[in-house]
Amino acid sequence: MDNCMGIISFSNDLDKNFGTLCNHRPASMLPVGGRYRLIDFFLSNMVNHEISTIGVFTGTKIRSVMDHIGSGKPWDLNRRFKGLFVFPPLYDDHTAKSVGNIHLFHSNESFFSNSTEENIFICNTSMLYRADLEAAYDYFKETDADVTLIYIKVNDPGGRFINCDKISIKEDGRLDHLGTNLGTEENFNLFLGSVFIKKSVYLKIVRDAIEKGTANYLKEALMNNRRKFKFNTFEHLGHVESIRNIKNYFDANMSLLDSDVYKEIFASHGTVYTKTKDEPSTFYRDDAKVSNSLVANGCILDGNIQNSIIFRGVKVGKNAIVKNSILMQKAVIEDNAVIVNAIVDKFTRIEKTSYKKSTPK
Amino acid sequence: MKKEKVVAMLLAGGQGTRLKSLTKNVAKPAVPFGGKYRIIDFPLSNAANSGITDIGILTQYKPFLLNEHIGIGSHWDFDRNAGGLRILSPFAGEAGGRWYQGTANAIYENMNFIDHVNPNYVLILSGDHIYKMDYKKMLDYHIEKQAHCTISVIQVPWDEASRFGIMDTDEFGRITEFAEKPEKPKSNLASMGIYIFNWDALKAYLEKDVKNPDSSNDFGKDIIPTMLADKNNMYAYTFEGYWKDVGTVRSYWEANMDLLSDDNELNLYCREWRIFTKNRNLPPQYVTDQAVVKNSMINEGCIIDGHLEKSILFSEVRVDKGAKVYNSVILSGAIIEEGAKVCNAVVMEGVRVKKGEVIGEENGEHVYLVSKEEIIKD
Repeated sequence: MDNCMGIISFSNDLDKNFGTLCNHRPASMLPVGGRYRLIDFFLSNMVNHEISTIGVFTGTKIRSVMDHIGSGKPWDLNRRFKGLFVFPPLYDDHTAKSVGNIHLFHSNESFFSNSTEENIFICNTSMLYRADLEAAYDYFKETDADVTLIYIKVNDPGGRFINCDKISIKEDGRLDHLGTNLGTEENFNLFLGSVFIKKSVYLKIVRDAIEKGTANYLKEALMNNRRKFKFNTFEHLGHVESIRNIKNYFDANMSLLDSDVYKEIFASHGTVYTKTKDEPSTFYRDDAKVSNSLVANGCILDGNIQNSIIFRGVKVGKNAIVKNSILMQKAVIEDNAVIVNAIVDKFTRIEKTSYKKSTPK
Repeated sequence: MKKEKVVAMLLAGGQGTRLKSLTKNVAKPAVPFGGKYRIIDFPLSNAANSGITDIGILTQYKPFLLNEHIGIGSHWDFDRNAGGLRILSPFAGEAGGRWYQGTANAIYENMNFIDHVNPNYVLILSGDHIYKMDYKKMLDYHIEKQAHCTISVIQVPWDEASRFGIMDTDEFGRITEFAEKPEKPKSNLASMGIYIFNWDALKAYLEKDVKNPDSSNDFGKDIIPTMLADKNNMYAYTFEGYWKDVGTVRSYWEANMDLLSDDNELNLYCREWRIFTKNRNLPPQYVTDQAVVKNSMINEGCIIDGHLEKSILFSEVRVDKGAKVYNSVILSGAIIEEGAKVCNAVVMEGVRVKKGEVIGEENGEHVYLVSKEEIIKD
């Protein structure tokens, strides 16, 4: 996919939905699937589709982002030309407003105008999926669209996608409206937050929004212009998880225990790259009983583990019980401790007297 | 290490014929070990952890996979602005090309490289052994003793001593006698094939050795005995800890099995002395609700649906429903199909053990090496 650059823009708007999990990390950096961060799926997807200039707008919680992404080496983005560009917020940005992200896109205009690519792929990291960007990009080019939005048709009787973006599409595939899903329809088109856009159109829309003061968010600015430019839509086929709060963060992780989802998320469209840690293999001791679980490297397991996601370097002691839980990196579950339906954050130690059981919201 | 500049020369050209199919396509240092490593990762990581910044890797036998694995050494932080890792393969000169004839000859052929780095000391390593060692401590010992040459030794059981190069030392650790595979060993201090030389001393002996037509150009057989005969200051540095030469299929299998015992001295999980390797970035292993996993080590990308006991699985191994794997080492990408049974075996990369197939006996004496072409009994 030459001639296309990628943008990942972190928003801190959702962070409040994740309680202490997002005290120090933005939602885009949430650990997923035993050894990844949410952002890895997007970075890898873009890299696997040969996007070689990627800009990351980090939002305000930069420490976690810098630690994980660094120079971009795990994604081969540490290049002499092109590669990874990280944009932390300016400490005192006079153009900044208290809400929205449009000023960010505006204040970094030179990054866009100086790059050689003529198209931009912008993605939203609150959705977990592996898209065929090649097909979407071809469609975008073939139809000579100014903007192509990627969506998926969902059947959602349970309301998993309430408050997500919903789009309506005209018969010719053009975009009609974009709004919020209130759960009034079971079948609808879920907008995945990812768009292809011509750079010339992007620059016009952002400038126009700033000059006229008509939008706080890029999404808003785009929608204001949906009649003026050619907006069409591309359907993604596959599995999608929305990660908007603790409950569906938990569910998204658990969905990986389904072998079809595991294969799609980890094996379709190339490897998912992440920062590697040089952990040895995981050691299962004599008394370990592990079933239906995803286990990363570097763990030493001696207890009873069921329906769980175990991140790198976790220790589970003798007779400990871990059920329906997510144990993040280097968590230690001591002998005889019991953890059920829980998310245990990095470096947490659960002692034998503890008993954690809860029903996730 | 500014004042005492040291360059490490890692001999990685060995074929390891006794490992049979394991070294059919790769040099012995590139043979996989311990769930995710290759043997050479141990000396490479030791060198990195010891603060060595200049290292030459001497390759010769089937180097393709080894070269690919090592790359520019970035996994061991050897990709540096100054110094770093260089792969030194045999090359052609004005007088034509020559293969490395022996361990000492391999160093002799690369004297230009060593002179270019201009070190005070040369550390000779072998890519064939599994151990964790701080070479810095050995160098400190070498400097303290004002030695010309220091040889790292390890105590071996007396009845095995005649298989090794044996050092006899005085009370200060000075080597008084060296015997290669002696029938009646005078001591049980065996050479580990790790030497530190003062570069000027080694250079002189290498130049002398190459002129001797009777020499086999080997450190153990030629250089060390000659230096000793000339009364150089030669000291033995005693190493304590896990050290294993995986020469045969059986010892290879045993060394892997060693990792499964709780008191194994290698302790791969020690954070202070990590073993680094090329990382493939595979997804986590998936253990299904049918699976039973006991006393085993499993690497990334494996999908376990069967029964696993006392085994080591490398990456992307699949153990299907009802399959049983006992006391075995399964290398990357192998598939154990439904109902198959594998005991006391080493199953090589990409091998498919077919549905219902049985390899090895549960309480048997033998170790089996399973490759795509054949099954070898050891």
